[in-house]
Amino acid sequence: MAESDVAATAAPSGAPSPWERPDVAAQATPTRSVLPGPETVHPVEFTGTSGEYFRIWIVNVALTLVTLGIYSAWAKVRKRRYLYGHTRVAGEGIEYLAKPIPILLGRLIAVAVLAAIVAADFLVPALAASRPLRQLLSIVVFVAAGPWIMVRSLRFNARNTAYRNIRFRFAAAYGDCFRIVATYGWLLLTGILYPFFRRRLVRFGVENHLYGATKLELSFDFGKPFVRAYFVAYGLFVLYMIGGVLPVVGIAAAVAAGMRVKLSQIAPLGFLLWLPVYAIAIGLTFAYIRARTINAIFNHLRIGPIRFSSSLRVRDVAGIYFSNAVAVVFTLGFATPWAVIRTWRYRMSKTAMTAAAPLDGFVQAEADHIGAAGQEIGDMLDFDVSL
Amino acid sequence: MTEFDAVYYDGRTSARNAVRVRAADDGQIHIAGDAVDVALPLAGARVDPPLAGVARAIRFANGAELRTEDCGALDALFSSQDRIERIAHVLEGRWRYALAGLALVAAVTAWIVIDGLPAAAALVADAIPETTQRAMGDQTLRTIDRTLCAPSALDARRREALLGDFRTLAASSGEANARIELRSCRAIGPNAFALPGGIIVVTDQLADVLKSDAELTAVLAHELGHARYRHPMRAALQSAGAAALVSVLAGDAVSITGIVVTLPTLLLQTGYSRGFEDDADTYAFERLKALGISPRAFAEALAALEGAHAARSRDAGQSLPDYLSTHPSTGRRIQRALSAQ
Repeated sequence: MAESDVAATAAPSGAPSPWERPDVAAQATPTRSVLPGPETVHPVEFTGTSGEYFRIWIVNVALTLVTLGIYSAWAKVRKRRYLYGHTRVAGEGIEYLAKPIPILLGRLIAVAVLAAIVAADFLVPALAASRPLRQLLSIVVFVAAGPWIMVRSLRFNARNTAYRNIRFRFAAAYGDCFRIVATYGWLLLTGILYPFFRRRLVRFGVENHLYGATKLELSFDFGKPFVRAYFVAYGLFVLYMIGGVLPVVGIAAAVAAGMRVKLSQIAPLGFLLWLPVYAIAIGLTFAYIRARTINAIFNHLRIGPIRFSSSLRVRDVAGIYFSNAVAVVFTLGFATPWAVIRTWRYRMSKTAMTAAAPLDGFVQAEADHIGAAGQEIGDMLDFDVSL
Repeated sequence: MTEFDAVYYDGRTSARNAVRVRAADDGQIHIAGDAVDVALPLAGARVDPPLAGVARAIRFANGAELRTEDCGALDALFSSQDRIERIAHVLEGRWRYALAGLALVAAVTAWIVIDGLPAAAALVADAIPETTQRAMGDQTLRTIDRTLCAPSALDARRREALLGDFRTLAASSGEANARIELRSCRAIGPNAFALPGGIIVVTDQLADVLKSDAELTAVLAHELGHARYRHPMRAALQSAGAAALVSVLAGDAVSITGIVVTLPTLLLQTGYSRGFEDDADTYAFERLKALGISPRAFAEALAALEGAHAARSRDAGQSLPDYLSTHPSTGRRIQRALSAQ
């Protein structure tokens, strides 16, 4: 769930940075490394190719099918390692360190829990009979389990992402996330205020990440462009729908008149005309929100002396999404690797990184000095719950 | 003795060190560069599995790492680790294996869709206890009652006749557990359908359309066939399986392609339902003959239903294209009924 936005934006973009003394390190003191000095621009590039990724993808799908899904955990690691490893920041690839077994374990647990929920839905008579009870229970599950899943998967992904052998971490506990969902969750019920909830969640997700001992920071003015992206997109959606409905009704009315039938009798035709209008509106809205919110996050992100810029353009993103959708449909899914690679490459080509200090100065958090053995134990207790 | 160039990160800071690495016979890795001169034990170290174009690292027990593109050297040092991913790497490296993978995926998918999934669903459906299936059916019925249907408004005599016919049919077919439920469902129209656990729902609107008892019995026999073969349960399992299959194949596609994922699932489901309908029809013909009723009654029921549906859709001004309908074309079914006499 939250993984897609928060982690994917925060973690993999990870970049290195300034110097801090290990003793001050692990703690949550935002390290304002406002070191004066000339800023250096470091290249961010993606060197993966769709041919290579297609081979990895198809072999992994085949092995997943042959092993009845077991291999999917290995497949996930290999695909993500490829995408991260070919994302080269200042020449060095990002490391994805997750082991397949914890991912497999997480998936098995998730499947078991889902099966239990479905079974309970059918088998517990009180639950089946009472709609209010079901609704109440789903809200409770959402508020209680949602934060747990989110924190778990952010933590797992952060811990397993590294750059220059310095790991990311996600420092928030379940309680922190629960408080936010409990405090701001009502915004969801209003629907239209959802962007404010989202903004709080993104700030929570980003600012609780650390690169080694250095906190990730979102400057205060990140919120305005972030929320504006949603509302402008909503507004454009409404305008587009109004603009789209008139020609559709017009065409339908003309056809109805031509066929000498009542307008209501050609409703299926109207529906067929309406479908592409609606699909384009949804796609454009989605692309607008995606491009503008990612820009808002990255343009306000700092890791010590490093800052980023992201200049995704809505028309590019929309073009990529639409052509991806068409290609995936017409190839029965086999264009998926190509779609993934070009989307990722575009994003990286629009991302830039600037550092006011050498990239050599980041330090590992104290807790991570334990090395491989401690890590294995951590892996056994730590499993990935994101599917 | 192996020697290679690498980049060394000590795991404490992000400082980058270009180094020359020498693996000595004493099990120590000697690392030397401008600011580094250490020896670390090979024992307890791990190496990243190979992956196209991605630099691999040796990760030492103390948290340090050596990154290198020199795969030959790494393979010489760590020959026994990560067998699974080594094999995967070989397969991923050549187009001929990728194309073989493609053929395999296509073949396995086709087999799963055509044979595997229906067979697995039938096995699982047989393994689910009767009481569980009935609980699922009751749950579905409650949902239908809440959203689509009202209690039956048939007059008592007609209702008794219907229930009596159903009891005779169920008893003579050895399906004593099957149960009939009468409902008035304007939203659904003249129809009958089977739910998991042998629950058969018949709408008042159907009883209005089918005037003769033989026709009603024919439709009931068809639904009893669905119950007998556990079609509702199998259909639910098959659609879950189809969704899982599609998500394995296209799970990585960006979320905008969500509709793309549901569409093939829906079409697959439609194909399966047609097979179920044929099986239930065949069952119905046998049961009818056992009761001394001609399968012609089934053909007549279908014709009457088709007339009613045509009238309904003329009023509503819409119709679905045939390939999206879950029933095989009515003409063909009528032919089958007539030739089963």
